[in-house]
Amino acid sequence: MDTKWKSIKKILSFAVFFLGVTLTLWNLPGMLRRMPAKLFSRDSAEGWETDYQQSRRFRQHISNRLEDFLSIAINGCPTYGDYYNGYSAGEAAYYEELAQLQEEIGEALVTEGTAAGIPLEYEDPEERWYREYGWYGWEEGEEDPEGNLTEEEKERLQKRKEKLTRNYFSGMEEDKNLLYSISYDGKLLYSNADLIQGDGTVQVPEGYNFLLYFDGACVRITKDGRDVDIYGDGYYRVNSDWYVPGYRNFPVNDEMKKAVICMAAAKEPVLYTVGLAKSGGYRQQNNVLYWMQYNILSGRRLLRWNLVGFAAGIGLLVCSLFCRKGRREASEKIAAIQGRIWIEGKVLLGVLVLGVVFAGIGRQLRENGSYDIWWELTQAYADGGLGASGSYIEWMLSELLYVSAMCWVTLFWMIYLFWNDLRHNKRMWSRGLIARCCRAFSAREMKLPLARRMARRSAIVCVVIAFLGIIILAAAAGGDRDMIFVPCGFGVAGILLAVSLAERKNVKAAREVDALSKRIGEICSGDYTAKAGGIDNSGSGNDAGKEKNHLCRQKESEVTVGNELETVAAQLENIRQGMAGAVDEQMRSERMKVELIANVSHDLKTPLTSIISYVQFLKEEEGLPEHVKDYIKILDEKSQRLKNMVQDVFAVSKAASGELPVNMEQLDFGKLLRQTLADMDEEIQGSSVSFRTEIPEAPVLILADGQRMYRVFQNLFQNALKYSLEGSRVYVALQVDGRMAVASVKNTSHMELDEDKNFTERFFRGDKSRTDGGSGLGLSIAQSFTEACGGQFELEFNADLFIVRVSFQTDCV
Amino acid sequence: MSDCILVVDDDREIVKAISILLEGEGYEVLKAYDGLEALDILACRQVRLVLIDVMMPKLDGLSALMRIRERQNIPVIVLSAKSEDTDKVLGLSMGADDYVSKPYNPQELAARVKSQLRRYTCLGDIHAGSRIGEIRNGRLLYRMDEKILYADGEPVRLTAKETGIIELLIRNPGRVFPAEEIYRRVWDEEAYASENTVMVHIRRIREKLELNPKEPEYLKVVWGIGYKMEKH
Repeated sequence: MDTKWKSIKKILSFAVFFLGVTLTLWNLPGMLRRMPAKLFSRDSAEGWETDYQQSRRFRQHISNRLEDFLSIAINGCPTYGDYYNGYSAGEAAYYEELAQLQEEIGEALVTEGTAAGIPLEYEDPEERWYREYGWYGWEEGEEDPEGNLTEEEKERLQKRKEKLTRNYFSGMEEDKNLLYSISYDGKLLYSNADLIQGDGTVQVPEGYNFLLYFDGACVRITKDGRDVDIYGDGYYRVNSDWYVPGYRNFPVNDEMKKAVICMAAAKEPVLYTVGLAKSGGYRQQNNVLYWMQYNILSGRRLLRWNLVGFAAGIGLLVCSLFCRKGRREASEKIAAIQGRIWIEGKVLLGVLVLGVVFAGIGRQLRENGSYDIWWELTQAYADGGLGASGSYIEWMLSELLYVSAMCWVTLFWMIYLFWNDLRHNKRMWSRGLIARCCRAFSAREMKLPLARRMARRSAIVCVVIAFLGIIILAAAAGGDRDMIFVPCGFGVAGILLAVSLAERKNVKAAREVDALSKRIGEICSGDYTAKAGGIDNSGSGNDAGKEKNHLCRQKESEVTVGNELETVAAQLENIRQGMAGAVDEQMRSERMKVELIANVSHDLKTPLTSIISYVQFLKEEEGLPEHVKDYIKILDEKSQRLKNMVQDVFAVSKAASGELPVNMEQLDFGKLLRQTLADMDEEIQGSSVSFRTEIPEAPVLILADGQRMYRVFQNLFQNALKYSLEGSRVYVALQVDGRMAVASVKNTSHMELDEDKNFTERFFRGDKSRTDGGSGLGLSIAQSFTEACGGQFELEFNADLFIVRVSFQTDCV
Repeated sequence: MSDCILVVDDDREIVKAISILLEGEGYEVLKAYDGLEALDILACRQVRLVLIDVMMPKLDGLSALMRIRERQNIPVIVLSAKSEDTDKVLGLSMGADDYVSKPYNPQELAARVKSQLRRYTCLGDIHAGSRIGEIRNGRLLYRMDEKILYADGEPVRLTAKETGIIELLIRNPGRVFPAEEIYRRVWDEEAYASENTVMVHIRRIREKLELNPKEPEYLKVVWGIGYKMEKH
């Protein structure tokens, strides 16, 4: 229940975070773009504005129309927004003509080019135009460029102008959202409504609330019956609302003075459509104003949604601040899932997603700007600003805001996932396919001996160099001259990479060899102290000094490596001889040790024999005074003890030097204990201590030397008898624990046990006075005999409780 | 005429101690202090038993033993400070009849000398081939019809149970009997806590027939398995 709630909490808190971020990011660009703030708005869909006539786009549209109308009125043909810049209608017609000519010549070239072999200089259509017409536009300062034309050319130009004008007005005439009337020199040229009455007054029909009137001197605009101030202080600036003639720095010229233009815009534009009888279908009229209003209204609706979504996102983000723990756990879980994916898969996926995202951005930018994005980035800046929309930065920002919100959200989550992975999965690089391959390769390589490894490495380098060299040569021989640098670059880079990789490994190997030879030298010169790290680590530099001058040492080792290795071989030979000597010496000294022990014990026993014998005679002597008999008794006791000690010392020394012969046989551990207890029954009965046994009847088979183990338990029981508290009990138990048979002897000590003391130490005595019998070797013998038989001997003290455990592996038949 | 015993040891005090011990038992003792001297004495005197040390100057005990065995078949007891099993085995295989390690127990030594002499002088010829119903093992002889055990020709006083145990073991020399089996066959009862009972009886028998009950030669405990009669 609790864990379930926990996991729900985890999921919930991450969902809140996810939704918060996504909503915020999704709505932020749209919101900024549609906000009334001028900074970010490239078009004039200004936020809350419902009247399309207040938008900058409308003002630009009307201004452009006025320019075109003026051009039509004066030149007889529209210049598509270039009239004010000094282009004449003739030029527009010229370009039109040029385009058509190019098409024609292009076709002619395709059809004739191969057969007739048109001279090369005719390939350029513009050049052909010059040659055929002998005319190259207008030179600056020319009064009337058209004056130079021949009659034929003038006629052709006139026709073109008429065609352009006809095209211009098609679609506009029936679009009653914008009414216009153009007259020049008192003559009405084009109109789609009776705006100017016969007496020169302007009549605005019902439903039209915007009126622009150019009377040849200046432009007047009336909106909703009120005049609009166009000119301000009379100077035109980049950010002025209306780009129309009549400013002090943009005056009306003489040609314009003859024109009278009137435009009226509908308050509520509608969609005008005409049926096409000929082709059967419909065609929409120009309808620019309708779409303008439509865009503004839908933009406003979107803005509203954007604001709501953004607010919700921020709210969720604030919420997610309160459940950071859950979020962190969730992100750890995600990281755990990520950790299982190979790094290559992740990178591939990331590249794929990024590709899609950037394709989206690119497409979006192209659609919005209708230009190639790169042209925009390079050229637009070089041109110096972008007219009315402000600085380059501003343009870039607004451009980025057009990038689909989807792209932003995807980008964010990708970065988040990457960061999450990086933070929680420390070893993410080593889990990939490439890392695996590298590891497998180096593991296989490590199996080879060093010499073959190095040989193989240089062979690989040679192959790589040869392969890439062939590619370079092939590219140089047959390739494109411009493209030769690409394969060459790749080839050289590849060679460098291969060489440096191999070199790195070889340098490492050389350093290892260096360290090895140095160490051998040290050993040879008598320095046997172990250094931290050893040869394996010295490659990675275990001390700073080594690391610091490893470059020069490396050089040394490379230069002298031949000599050095010979020296090393000689040194190794030295060491080998020394070791052989040492082993011999060791063997000899081991033998000598045992012999010494035997001799010493023999030499001790010989006088002891006499002592014991004569004490015996004294004991049998009659008629001695009582006190002399006491002395003799003491002599007897001590000589007997000395005898025991000598025997024990001999046994322990032999056991310690591993010379104790053992006769291993399968025996019943339980029976051994019972027999030993029975053997010592008299001693036990004669003491104040009682024994409690817990030995299973079923045989517990072990492999040991019965005689030695009898000695072990005899010693243990004697110890227990000697050192137990009077009237206390000794517990003897045998337990089988899996494969181990453990015999334990527990007794309560009659004196305090000191945990610091080592009870199995030779000659250790329970009491310091050493006056009681025994050699002090009891536990030591027990331990060394047990170990000689392959068992384990443990001591444990707990307060006054003294526990000995002897364990053997059970010997299953 | 008392038996003549040759004691050979490089330690004069030990030789003296042993001669005091043996003279106290009524033997005539000859003394030698190295192997060559011993061989000289053996060449000119009739000796019934030799007690010889191993580590001696001029000629060591084991070499002297080999020389003695070339000519004579008298009992030889090796007396040595070397107490290892391997030393004992070596000495016995070289032809010694017994091996006593130093420091010796005077009573034990005297008993061993007596035992060897009795076997050599009294029993040696008489009991060369064992009769039907007799089991011989070293210095032990068991007559099944009489149900009497003789050690060195002298009857050992045993209780009924002890005799039962001895009969069981001596009829199967070398075989190891667990305490339960001994109990079942001798007491003719189901074995329960038999270890102590059997052990007590074994110990009592040892005291009666072994020369040194603490280091038994015939009735042996095979630790962790059972009991057996050592084959001699």
